[in-house]
Amino acid sequence: MNTNEAKEKLLLYRERIDDADPRFQEALAQVRRDPELAEWLREQMNCYDAIRSKLREVEPRSDLAEKIVRNQPIPFRRDWTQMLKLAAAIILSAGITAVAMTLWQRDGHRLMQGREIVVKGEVLDLTCYVAYNWSGPKHASCAMDCIKSGLPVGIKTEDGKVYLLTGKEAHVNDELADYAAKIVTVRGKKTARDGFAQIQVEEIRKF
Amino acid sequence: MSADPEFENLVKLYYRDLYRFGFSLTGSEVDAIDLTQETFYIWARKRHQLRNPTSVKSWLFTTLHREFLKICRHRKRVAHEPIDEGAQNFPHVTADVVNRIDAQTLLNVLGQIDEGYRAPLVLYYLEDLSYKQIGDVLAIPLGTVQSRIARAKIKLLQLLSETKPRTAA
Repeated sequence: MNTNEAKEKLLLYRERIDDADPRFQEALAQVRRDPELAEWLREQMNCYDAIRSKLREVEPRSDLAEKIVRNQPIPFRRDWTQMLKLAAAIILSAGITAVAMTLWQRDGHRLMQGREIVVKGEVLDLTCYVAYNWSGPKHASCAMDCIKSGLPVGIKTEDGKVYLLTGKEAHVNDELADYAAKIVTVRGKKTARDGFAQIQVEEIRKF
Repeated sequence: MSADPEFENLVKLYYRDLYRFGFSLTGSEVDAIDLTQETFYIWARKRHQLRNPTSVKSWLFTTLHREFLKICRHRKRVAHEPIDEGAQNFPHVTADVVNRIDAQTLLNVLGQIDEGYRAPLVLYYLEDLSYKQIGDVLAIPLGTVQSRIARAKIKLLQLLSETKPRTAA
C-alpha cells in the first residue's frame, strides 16, 4: 500500500469510532511507519473534529421538547378486530339505547335506590379510563392531575366493575387525588342512574 | 402533565440529536423543527410495530430521513454541485479554516451537496455510528455508504476551501 492508497483509505477514518474496523488496520500500520502520513492524518482528524463540533453547536429552541410532548397525538390503532368489536358494540348499544329510551319515557331519570356496599379497588381518573383505557401506576401522575382538576373520579374493583365515586354533598376528588392509581377500600351506598353505577361514599380506607 | 411518560422520556433523550440531523439536512430551523416533531409523532402512532426496542434511535433517524426525502420530492429540485466520481485529489483544509466559518455557513455549504450524498456525510460527522449502522439508517448497502461519504467529503472539503469566512458587520 503506497501513501496515496493509505490516504484514500484513511480519508474516512474517525479516531475512536473506527478504531476496531479491520478495513483501516493496514493503513494505520503504515501511519506508524511514515511520519509524513501521520502528520497528514493528524490534520485530517483535526479537521473532522472541527466540522463535527461546528455541526453539534446547533441547539434547538429551549421549548421544543415541551412543545412536542404537549402536542402529542392520541394514538388510534386501526386494528380491524377492534373495529369489528366496535361495530358490534355500536349495534348492541343502539339496541340497548332504544329499550332504555322507552323505559326512560315511562320512568324519567330515576335514581335507582341501592344498598350499602364495601368495595376494594384502584382509584381511577374516569375520563382517561373511559376515553383511552389509561389506568395503573404508569398513568398515576396524569390521573392525580385530572382528579385534582375536578374530573370524575371512580374505582375499579377487583372483579372488574367500575363505579363513579361521589360524596353526599361534596366531591371526593380532594380526598382521593393522592391515591390515584392506588388501592383503597370504599364504603358507601350503591346507586344507579340510567344504567351508570355510582357509590355515594361514606368512608374511604386507604392503605 | 404528561399522559405518556414513555413518549416524554423518548423526546427528552433524542430531540437534540434528531433536530441537529434535521437541521444539517435542510439548513432550515423551521424544517428541522417540523421533521423532529413529525418523527416523534410517527413513533407515537407506530410504536407497537417496532420489533426491537433497543434500535429505537436508529428507527427515529431512519424515519426523519424518510420524511426529509418526502420534503425533497415535494419541493422544486435544486441543482446541486456535481460529485466528481473519480476524485483522487484531497483538498487541503485545516481545522483553522473550519473554525473561521460559522455553523450557518457550514450548513449552507452542506446544502450544496446532493441529498443522496449529504445524509450519509451528515451522519458520518454528527453521530458515533459505524458505516454499517449508517447504511442501516439510510437503507443503503455498506459499499455505497463508504463511496458516498468519501465523495461527499472530498466535495465538502473542496467547497470549504473556496469559502470565505463571514466578516462581522
